[in-house]
Amino acid sequence: MAIAQFVVNGLLVGALFAAVAVGFALIWGVVDIINLAHGEMVMLGGYTAYWLLSIATGTAEGSVLLFLATLPVVITVLFVLGYVLQRTLVSQVIETDIFLTLLVTFGISIAIQQLAIQAWTANPRSIQVAFTDPSMTLGGLVVPKMKLVAFGGAILLTGMLFVFLQRTRTGRAIRAVSQNPEAAALVGIDVEHTRAVTFGISSAIAGGAGAFIATILNIQPQMGLIYTLKSFVIVVFGGVGSIPGALTGGLLLGTVEELTAGLVSSQWTLAVSFTLLVVLLVVKPQGLFGTEADQ
Amino acid sequence: MSTESDGGLLRSALSSEQVDRTFDFCGRHAWTLIAVAAVVGALPPMFGLREGYYMTVLSEMFLFGVLALSWDIVGGQTGYPSFGNMAFFGIGAYVTAILVTDAALAFPLAIVGAAVAVVVFALINGLIVLRLRGHYFAIATLGILLATQQVSRNLDITGGASGKILLDVPPGIVFYYFFLGVLVAEIAVVYYLSQTRFGFVLNAIRDDEEKATAMGFNTTYYKTAAWVLAALFTGLAGGAYGLFNTFIDPQTAYNGAWNVELIAMALMGGTGTVAGPVIGAFGLHTVIEIVETAFVGWQLVLLGVAVIVTVIGYPDGVVGTLREYASEMDYYEYGGMAATDADDEPEVTADE
Repeated sequence: MAIAQFVVNGLLVGALFAAVAVGFALIWGVVDIINLAHGEMVMLGGYTAYWLLSIATGTAEGSVLLFLATLPVVITVLFVLGYVLQRTLVSQVIETDIFLTLLVTFGISIAIQQLAIQAWTANPRSIQVAFTDPSMTLGGLVVPKMKLVAFGGAILLTGMLFVFLQRTRTGRAIRAVSQNPEAAALVGIDVEHTRAVTFGISSAIAGGAGAFIATILNIQPQMGLIYTLKSFVIVVFGGVGSIPGALTGGLLLGTVEELTAGLVSSQWTLAVSFTLLVVLLVVKPQGLFGTEADQ
Repeated sequence: MSTESDGGLLRSALSSEQVDRTFDFCGRHAWTLIAVAAVVGALPPMFGLREGYYMTVLSEMFLFGVLALSWDIVGGQTGYPSFGNMAFFGIGAYVTAILVTDAALAFPLAIVGAAVAVVVFALINGLIVLRLRGHYFAIATLGILLATQQVSRNLDITGGASGKILLDVPPGIVFYYFFLGVLVAEIAVVYYLSQTRFGFVLNAIRDDEEKATAMGFNTTYYKTAAWVLAALFTGLAGGAYGLFNTFIDPQTAYNGAWNVELIAMALMGGTGTVAGPVIGAFGLHTVIEIVETAFVGWQLVLLGVAVIVTVIGYPDGVVGTLREYASEMDYYEYGGMAATDADDEPEVTADE
């Protein structure tokens, strides 16, 4: 039974990892950039929600509805930030050396992280969402309600992205740019704008996931790198540019981490994740779902 | 890649011909220059600078020179941008610390032990990660760094998260000469190699690994050798740093900020050159020290911004930009195409 509980916990957290990773996979697939500042978007999303709640209630506490009301703002703010970053900085190094693209996002990551430390100190913070009864029991398994809400939110964000890419005109433009930027430009798609929108959407989803992370785990300025790397594990596992792959990968990573924490020790979760990353890269760099998987 | 305004400023200060002559001079007298630099580096303690702030800063400059140049052996010369070099540093630091405290070995013996450990570690993980390229290689090395850090945090022998305190260490002057010695040795080795077949093959791997393989070179051997060499020097620096600092924990031994700093130093100085990373290390460390004293806490913000600006504006670094400037004259002398050829010449300088 204990194992079933760990698996449930893992799936609940894993959905958030997946929501972070889909954005990472999207940028990688469309703009062909490893965005090392992706985790910082998660962090900024968490802080935006935190400060909005603090302004609204005086403390970072509130009801579920109040918390959910901050999400549209978080998503908008992060979208704009992502769009601007791509337009001003990242676009300058696209199609140059891979090393330079990595380094520019690494530079952005450090600058944002350090500015956040200067502005908000390095102390971990979290959002307290008030419930009359914080957890419920389903068939002997304890499920905290907030984790369930976060799970639902993360799945919803991922699903919305999937539908957006499949059904809307902008979504089709994004997929076109990912397949062939030159051909996309020839049929009249503004490639630079589309890439920036992709960056914006990816940051927005990461920010939304970050807000949920602030409610069930905690946030602090230096949390970003870990989420970037987890995204990388997930994307490598699921295949670049594949949303279903990223979702599966996220749920699996969450489960593996919770099982490690439960059966071995919570100290070892990160070591296991990073080792898994290196092993996966070496054994199966094309991902379990392969790059040809449906976007 | 220098911008117009930069070219203008530079042009008014010194002509491209002068720069070209300087490069020529440095190329011809490289060994003499290395020897002179070594002697100059050895002088300050003989004139009374034996301890204190400036002594530490100078030692750290040599240390960063080693780290940046080591990174460049693989990142710049071979074209495999590692984001995990601090793993070697940390392992070097921890092994030395454990040998000195738990095994009660003397510093020289302990550092030899650390060097062996780092070389073995680099050999094993090099054979694995060097099969990857581009994004995958960069992230795999970052993954190794973080995994190693987590393992050091969780083991008992490394002192866990609280780290190890090292008492009874040699005086600072020993480390000053140690770092200087390692740096000079590394400059000499890298410069020597850059003129041998070994160095040319590394550059060939960077430019086109498949062609290098097609020409019959065992590229796995060459890049693993370069990787191990980089690890050895980084590990030596790390081993001495633990004692120099008298304390190590997972944060200092696998310092994430340094991990970026050493890449930034190599990039700003000029990747793929011998002098570039060292110049970058001295320059950037000086700036960081100044900012650290004047605006505490802002040095990493500055580092991030500096990295972005360098990558976007001057991806060739100081030496690369100057060399491009110097070759402008060739354009007129040889009537056009020679200037573009000049970039393809083996990148060899040592104007340290």
